[in-house]
Amino acid sequence: MPRVRIAYRQEGPARYVSHLDVMRAFERAARRAGLPLAYSQGFNPRPKMTFAAPLAVGMSGCREYVDLELETEPDPAGVFELLRQNLPNGLVPVQVQAVATGPSLMSLVHRSRYIAVGDVPVGLDTGALQVGLKRFLGRGEIVVEQKRAKGVRRKNIRPGIYSLSARLDGDKLCFSMELKAGSAGNVRPDEVLAVLGKDLSLVPESFAVWRTALLSRAGRLLWDVKGDSIC
Amino acid sequence: MTDLERILARVEKPARYVGGELNAIVKDWRRVPVRIAFAFPDVYEVGMSHLGMHILYHVVNSRDDALMERVFAPWTDMEAEMRTSGLPLFSLESHRPLRDFDVVAFSLQYELSYTNVLNMLDLAGIPLESRDRDDRMPLVVAGGPCAFNPEPLAPFLDAVFLGEGEDAVHDLVEVVRRYGRGNRDELLCALARLPGVYVPRFYRVEYAADGGVKQVVPLIDGVPGKVVKRLVRDLDRAPFPVRPIVPYLEAVHDRAMLEVFRGCTRGCRFCQAGAIYRPVRERTLKTLLDQAGELLRHTGYNELSLTSLSTTDYSEIRKLVQTLVERHRGERVNVSLPSLRVDAFAVELARAVQEVRKSSLTFAPEAGSQRLRNVINKQVTEDDLLRTVEVAFRAGWSRVKLYFMLGLPTETLEDVDGIARLARMVLDKGRECEVPKGRLSVTVSISSFVPKPHTPFQWEPQAPLAVLRERQSFLQGRLKGKNLVYRWHDPEASFLEAVFARGDRRLAPALRRALELGCRLDGWRECFRFDLWQQAFAETGVEPGAYAYRSYRYTDILPWDHLDTGIDRDFLAEEHARALAGEITKDCRGEQCTGCGLCPNLEIEPQLAEVGTGAAG
Ligand code: SF4
Repeated sequence: MPRVRIAYRQEGPARYVSHLDVMRAFERAARRAGLPLAYSQGFNPRPKMTFAAPLAVGMSGCREYVDLELETEPDPAGVFELLRQNLPNGLVPVQVQAVATGPSLMSLVHRSRYIAVGDVPVGLDTGALQVGLKRFLGRGEIVVEQKRAKGVRRKNIRPGIYSLSARLDGDKLCFSMELKAGSAGNVRPDEVLAVLGKDLSLVPESFAVWRTALLSRAGRLLWDVKGDSIC
Repeated sequence: MTDLERILARVEKPARYVGGELNAIVKDWRRVPVRIAFAFPDVYEVGMSHLGMHILYHVVNSRDDALMERVFAPWTDMEAEMRTSGLPLFSLESHRPLRDFDVVAFSLQYELSYTNVLNMLDLAGIPLESRDRDDRMPLVVAGGPCAFNPEPLAPFLDAVFLGEGEDAVHDLVEVVRRYGRGNRDELLCALARLPGVYVPRFYRVEYAADGGVKQVVPLIDGVPGKVVKRLVRDLDRAPFPVRPIVPYLEAVHDRAMLEVFRGCTRGCRFCQAGAIYRPVRERTLKTLLDQAGELLRHTGYNELSLTSLSTTDYSEIRKLVQTLVERHRGERVNVSLPSLRVDAFAVELARAVQEVRKSSLTFAPEAGSQRLRNVINKQVTEDDLLRTVEVAFRAGWSRVKLYFMLGLPTETLEDVDGIARLARMVLDKGRECEVPKGRLSVTVSISSFVPKPHTPFQWEPQAPLAVLRERQSFLQGRLKGKNLVYRWHDPEASFLEAVFARGDRRLAPALRRALELGCRLDGWRECFRFDLWQQAFAETGVEPGAYAYRSYRYTDILPWDHLDTGIDRDFLAEEHARALAGEITKDCRGEQCTGCGLCPNLEIEPQLAEVGTGAAG
């Protein structure tokens, strides 16, 4: 089946939408647009779409990807235009290209980059910030607890933090991070912020988070999308 | 980050509170003189499933001089966050506080949402009582089925709209536009003189020594002694939202809704909807097919639900269903019918729309014996039901759901036992039709009868709570067994529903107290606190049983007698007498008017699709 790969932004109202609801929104947009989605067989036919990586509720995505399987050979420029007109507010196509069959999008993702912007805690200056970061990264083990259906699971997130930096920008505090992502394991930016929060007395919920890039195992961009600059 | 964003990071399903969905309309406030907030007193997913909201949203936003935005009841987590941070209740479209609107219009679908109405006003920083709101505050109005007895909410509402809102909402916009915000008293007087509008403060209720209502007296000139409902005279040409908002979040009814007709002719004696939406008005086939096409094109839904009170009664139902299936099969659209009429034809239809029989079929015999079904005028026989499920099982369905009510007038244990008997006969049919054992299931879903205003049972008391509980456990005992599933509603919730459905203004303090004690979202089992309600009644000196259990005489003045559905009260009394005598009354579809008085009273006639087809073009 012919496939198209779509790079899109998820922002505004769409950042509060769960992954399942984003999938439904894409399906409905495709139906409104008259795109000939291919469906699975069986009792409950589902459209054949694969997303690179679900985006957590509350987060914006600057470069999200989805593959759609179509019943006919697509014209990428036409698909882009149809999506632009039919996706709901907050889901914005950035680029569309035809792709050959190959490994699933999901299996390509190993790392993600994020930026998080929030209020500067009272009394925190650049010096204290850098000291705090250094101390944080210097730990051999950073254990977070995850609530699961059966009890609590402890997980060491330190090996999944590939890079972390921060700077003060006026009254804003900005973090950049590159974290482990994908089916082999995931470190979430809010986990990092929660631990940092204790060290630097910041409020993790007051941070707006963007996922800026999805990367391969080698740390390369999954798809070097042209178009407007990242976020 | 704004306060709202900070809060949204901490609550469940934040998409409930942000808006921005497909087809939502955001207008420029500076250019629009009349601003209305449509307030649905339940959570987003419930409110977004309500067709009436989509209709009014479309009607108001089609005007250049008015806008309508939405607001829903926040879930408990959101409420707590809003209260802690002092964030007032706001609309989804422009995120403006409710206080900034000219009108806040509540939809009253269900008595157990009344605390949500008060809670939403409170969260908005709007004084709860009408008399405490000055010119700076929005007008607080209400409509919907419960508007036909809004008395428990009377002190809180400025005006109540009776009947269908499509035309009345235009009058509302015009009156608000004329009087602006500075002339609340004149505005209310003008509203009170509009047809179908009830302004509670202009009526004094006097009570009799026996606890009932003695009389209801209009207090100013020009307001009617009886307020008569509004209705749409030409439904076929009435505005219909073919670009409804498509939620990101999964709504309770996550599908396109096509309103096939309004009203119902069956005359079930317990049914309030059947009474207040008379007469039947069908849309023409052409209009429906056009609207269905547009709806699907503008929403992208993969399911189209034919919504009406008894959809299979539509005159052209076979043609409608066949054409819809043919036209939209290629787009993988499922057509769905809500609860089915109990006959083979209905199953045939369901067959036509569902190629894969994955879901269950739902039927509502409502009572367990023929005698009791005659009392309530539900014209279904045991034979009908068994023949119908046989067709269904043979056609490949394996799951059947049956709806019944407990506590119907004249009900005995024998009738209750009849429910279990019927369920077992249906199950036996399934076995006889060789439905695989692992898949076969018969679900019995039980609710408690609530005597509703404006129905032939309005004079009847509700069965005592103790009796309802006892009959539920009796039935539950009878329905144990393989392949049988028993579901029930809390009888305590139905009791409260009866209290408020049949209530008068003296209930208002109890409602307010219940809110203070923490009652809200009472329709949600996990939030319903009957103990707090009992405390609220006790503290305000209200005996709730006096409302739910009261048996009225025909000569008594009912708390809602000054509100008029168009049906003759004598007809209801006659129907009540016939019910007790076990006599049925025929359907009023076609030529066989049963004389409820509505058509002559409101100068209208039933409209059926065959008659109207020619006129549609
Ligand atoms: S007046 Fe007759 S036709 Fe009209 S709604 Fe009543 S019973 Fe039906």
